[in-house]
This record gives sequence, structure tokens and C-alpha cells, in this order.
Amino acid sequence: MSTDREKAKLERDMAVPEVDLRDGASGIATWAQTDGENLHPAALEILGEARRLSEKLEDKTVTSIVIGKDAEKHAQTLIEHGADRVYVISDDRLLEYRTLPYVRAIVDAIREIKPEIMIYTASAIGRDLAPRCAARLHVGLSADCTQLDIGMYVNRKKGQRFMHAFKMMRPSFGESKLATIIGPWNYPQSSTVRPGVFAKLQPDSSRTGEVVKFEPKWVEEDWIQEVVEVQKGGSRVELEKADIIISGGKDLGREGFEMLQELVDAIRANGQVAELGASRAAVNAGLISSDHQVGQTGKTVRPEIYFAIGISGAVQHLMGMQNSKKVVAINIDPNAKIFQVADYGIVDDYKNVVPELIKQVKNGFTFELDK
Amino acid sequence: MSLKDLNIVVLLKQVPVPKAMKTKADGMMDRSGKSMINPYCNAALEEALKLREKVGGVITVVSMGPPNAKQSLIEAMRKGADKSILVSDRLLAGSDTWATALALSSTIKKYLPDTDIIFAGLQTIDGDTAHVGPQVAEHLGFQQVTYVDKIELEGENLKVRRFVEGGWETFITPIPVMLSIHTAANTPRGPSLGAALRTSEDNITVYSVEQIGLTKEEVGVAGSPTIVSRVLNVVIDRPPVELFNEGSATERVGKLLEAVNRKEESS
Ligand SMILES: Cc1cc2nc3c(=O)[nH]c(=O)nc-3n(C[C@H](O)[C@H](O)[C@H](O)COP(=O)(O)OP(=O)(O)OC[C@H]3O[C@@H](n4cnc5c(N)ncnc54)[C@H](O)[C@@H]3O)c2cc1C
Ligand SMILES: Nc1ncnc2c1ncn2[C@@H]1O[C@H](COP(=O)(O)O)[C@@H](O)[C@H]1O
Repeated sequence: MSTDREKAKLERDMAVPEVDLRDGASGIATWAQTDGENLHPAALEILGEARRLSEKLEDKTVTSIVIGKDAEKHAQTLIEHGADRVYVISDDRLLEYRTLPYVRAIVDAIREIKPEIMIYTASAIGRDLAPRCAARLHVGLSADCTQLDIGMYVNRKKGQRFMHAFKMMRPSFGESKLATIIGPWNYPQSSTVRPGVFAKLQPDSSRTGEVVKFEPKWVEEDWIQEVVEVQKGGSRVELEKADIIISGGKDLGREGFEMLQELVDAIRANGQVAELGASRAAVNAGLISSDHQVGQTGKTVRPEIYFAIGISGAVQHLMGMQNSKKVVAINIDPNAKIFQVADYGIVDDYKNVVPELIKQVKNGFTFELDK
Repeated sequence: MSLKDLNIVVLLKQVPVPKAMKTKADGMMDRSGKSMINPYCNAALEEALKLREKVGGVITVVSMGPPNAKQSLIEAMRKGADKSILVSDRLLAGSDTWATALALSSTIKKYLPDTDIIFAGLQTIDGDTAHVGPQVAEHLGFQQVTYVDKIELEGENLKVRRFVEGGWETFITPIPVMLSIHTAANTPRGPSLGAALRTSEDNITVYSVEQIGLTKEEVGVAGSPTIVSRVLNVVIDRPPVELFNEGSATERVGKLLEAVNRKEESS
């Protein structure tokens, strides 16, 4: 790339008049998702990313908003993971998620905090909450982002140069493109980010922060929906917490999934945290329950090691696992797309490979994990 | 008391078929190729049809898009929707989810003010944001439940089940309400002969931006708080896969596991 040309472009950009429409809005706020009682792992992931982004702003304050029953118990964890300030919104009625009480809570808090950036998790709850908050605040919202940045944005047509625009990047066109969305005209610039994409910070117990007990101005009608039943837990598949995930596709059939379960059990017997994953096609075929599904409509995971066994590598599946540290693919088809994102692989029938894996793990092979 | 003769709206979007998805030179979606009803919207329509079978009423499909979206509206009516509204205007080009939701909610406010239930798809396969349903609900002051996969009647309320992290929650919600439907909720029906015979293009009303009561500043690029500033091709930066295809299964698996445990030099 010619640096002369880059220099000329920069000069032209800098000649465009700078505008700043922040009107006092400053710093970053994040929503720390809970399931009513416990923090969602993504709450800490976003905080880590907010902390990194804040280095590029004048006001480096990161405020985390946590909503739930006894939500104050999370304040210390959030501070240790990067929050300078925690807005605690605690109420017994917040044990289960309901849209309107949450929207009021977030909107009231944002109006008081006045951040220039607001980040939500793109979870099933976050994707319900964030668009409605954005509509009420009359701000834009960029969905399901996987990369974030802050920097200069020049719009020659409008003759505007922003020095601290929030650049929200999201995969589009079935993951083949990465689109950058910006909106430095309304604040807070808001986005939801995919769970499992960003890394949380190492907790630092010496960090200190301010805890603000916040009371939203709820009205009676906010609580009009009634939660009558909650089906959660039971077998509780904790894919997000597993260091090693063994995932299978639909062509493995019942027999194949039994084999994968045996492999998972063998790894666990060595004291390592493993879990069984699956493609949607395998779930649809009734081979395994949907809480094991990885992908766009399943879970987003970033384990140390991900085994894709008999999985073709459709984009919707890749969306859920491509941030895994190491990917191992076992597939009978040498042209399967999964080999394009895998680090290691064997081209063969799983029936020849998996029993051998089980044997070697049972013989004491343990995976070395970077942590 | 129980629900009867409901005014039902289905928000339906026409999307390019996945294989035909491409961008134009300006980075916008090319909508001139082969198209179909967004799968999640098909699931939403199916829930609307099932509800009407139980309580009666009228289903109006509302869509914003280019003139060729009519073909999807006709398909929806052949499955049983009663009539359709298409909001179509060059001024709408470049609308983000905020501006889309404003156009759709303004249409409903003006032409379908007695709406009881809005069915939306959970998300689209082209925009893929899941924003529009909740934003329409906010503009209209409706209740909302998203990720819905089960709907039952409960007196004058609805009992709906939604997916949340780690399970499901079941709500009793009053109307008016916006429900966004997951494709897991049902298997959409095909066209029916009776409905197909009744369907005619005359049952589609097309409105311009002016007719729905908005100005050119409120829609399209001008009315959108966000814009796409840049689109990059994704390059996969992983080194090529290392394959272990030589030797016995024991040898191959042994070498594979050895490689997995090797420390990375960089990154
Ligand atoms: C809106 C939407 C959302 C979606 N969300 C998700 C999602 O969240 N997660 C998800 O996974 N998918 C999702 N999908 C589906 C996705 O597009 C694919 O259909 C699915 O991932 C394919 O699953 P599969 O790899 O098991 O099956 P297939 O694509 O049929 O692939 C089977 C693979 O197994 C290999 N194989 C067969 N026999 C053997 C053997 N004996 N040994 C070794 N290998 C063998 C074959 O070579 C092939 O590669 C979604 C689709 C849509 C439209
Ligand atoms: N242009 C549109 N016309 C009608 N309905 C739409 C339009 N865009 C989005 N929707 C509705 O909103 C849902 C979510 O879309 P999205 O926010 O684009 O993911 C869709 O499934 C539709 O029900």
C-alpha cells in the first residue's frame, strides 16, 4: 500500500470539520445479564471488551448495570472483572425475566448514567430487551456484533468528522462479509454482542469501584405479564463452561452419539470438564436434546478444544464454535467445509476413529489446557 | 370471557433465497434475484392461521419492501391470510431497523388501529437482527413476547411459552401483544385450494411513505440512526488444517492427540 496515498487521504479527512454530537454523554455502560440469580458468563465477557475499548475514549469509566433478585451480590464480581461503577437494580419480582420491567430499568438507568456507548448481550433475553430499549431511547442498535472498535469516521457528503465513533462489526450475508455499522448521531451508540466471542479479564480482587443502588420509576402496567411456569435446569448442559466439547452431526445416528457420550465420560473420568455438543440437524433428527445444540440458534461456545465429528460445517454451525481455541475435525468427506476452520483433522469414518480416541483417553491421555 | 374475532397482523418480509444473496456495488443487499418468504415469517403466519381457526377474525399481512414483494404476499394469502398491505416507496431504501419499525408501526396505527395481536418472525435470514418486532411493539405500546414456540388461549389473555437461556418461561399476557415466533414452533402449511381461489392481487393495498403519514426525513437513510459504513470480505486467517491420514487408527489418533497438546509458538 502506498503510504503517500494514505497520507493524502488522511489530510483530506482531517480537512473535514470535526463534529461532536455527544452533548455530555461519556463513558461506556454494559448490561450484566443474570438468570434472575446468577450471572451469565457473557456479563463478564462484555465487561472485558468494554474495558479494552475504554482506552480509546476520554472518559474511561465503565458502568455495569445488573438487574435481578438480590442483584447486589454480583457487584464485587463485576468490579473485579473491570467495572468502575455498578448500577444495582434489585427486586424480588425480577427473579424471572419480563420485558417491560427490564426495559424501564435499563432506560431509566441509561438516562441517569448518560453513556456514549451501551453494550448488551445478544442472548435470547438480550435480543428481546435491547431493541425495545433502543426504540424507547430513540437510538440506533447494531445486532449480534463480533468485533468492536472506536475511531475516526469521516462522512464527506455530510461534511462531518467524528473522532470517537463506535464501530460495530457484525457478520452478514451468511458470515461471508463483515459489515461495520456506525451511528454517531444519537447517544448512546448501542449494540448487542454475541456471547462467547469476547474474552473476560482475569479477576483482580484489588480493583475498587462504586456501587449505586438504583430505583427505576416502574409503573403498575410494567408488571402486567405474569410468569406462570419456568422450565429450567434438569439435566443442565453447561456447554459454555466446558473446556473440551465433543460435537456430533446427524449422520452419526444413535450409535454414534452413544460413542461420543462414552468419549465425554472418559475425558471427565480424567478430571477434565467435557460436554457433548451437536449440530442442529442432529437435534432435529431427535438424536439429542436441543440444549446441546451449538450454532446460530443454539449456543455460542469458545472451549479450549472443539471436536466436530461428522459435522459438515454449515455457516450456522460455525457461528457458534469458530472462536474455539483449537478445532479438531473428523469427517469422512475430505471436502467438508469444517476442514477449512479446523486446526487438526482425520479424514475417515468416525467408527474407525472414535473408539481409538476413547481407548487412548481411558489409557490416561489428558488434554493440556492453556489455563 | 374469552377471545373472539381478533384483528391479527402478520409482519412478513420477503428475503433473497440464501444462495442468491449478494451485494450491489454500493454494499446494499441486491433484492432483484430469486426471493422467498422469510422462514421465521412463515412460522409467524402459521401461528396466526392456527389462532384464527380457534377464535375467528381477520388476518392482514403487512410488509415493507420492493414491488416484487407482492409475490410473497400472494403466497401468504394462498395459505389463508385475508388481505395484505405493502408499504413500498423508493424513499424507504437504506432504512435500518429503527426506520423500518417506524414505517410498519405507522402503517398499523393509521390503517389497522384495532389490531389485537401482531405476529412477527423472530428474525430475518438477511437482516438477522430480531429488532423489528420489539421495536414495532414499543412504537405501538403493545406487550411483547419473543422467541415464542407455544400459544394457548387463557380466557381473554394468551398463554405463551418463550425460550430463554437454559429453558423456557411461560407467560400469561394480555392483548394487544406482539409475539415473535421461532421456527421451532411449527411446520408451516402450504397453500390451500380454497384460499388460492379467493386470492387476487386486488387484496393487496400498496401505500407510499406519504400515505402512511411519514416524511422523507423520517425514513430511508435520512431517518435511520445507523448506517453501514463499510463491508469487508471475511478472510479465514487460520493456517490450513493439519491432517493425520497415514497409518493405523492407533497411530493416526496418537499423532492427532500429540498435535493437539503441542504448545503454539505464536498467538
Ligand atoms: C436459520 C437457521 C439457523 C440454523 N442454526 C443452526 C445452529 O444453530 N446450529 C447448527 O448446527 N445448524 C444450524 N442450522 C442448520 C445448518 O444449516 C446445517 O443444516 C446443519 O448444521 C448441518 O448439520 P450436520 O453437519 O450434522 O449435517 P450435514 O450437513 O448433513 O452433514 C453431515 C456430515 O457428516 C459427515 N459424515 C457422514 N457419515 C460420516 C461418518 N460415518 N463418519 C464421519 N463423517 C461422516 C458427512 O461427510 C457430512 O459432512 C441452521 C439453519 C438455518 C436456516
Ligand atoms: N420489511 C419488513 N416488512 C415486514 N416485516 C418486517 C420487515 N422487516 C422485518 N420485519 C418483521 O420483523 C421480524 C424480524 O426482522 P429483523 O429485525 O429484520 O430480524 C421479521 O421476521 C418480520 O416479521
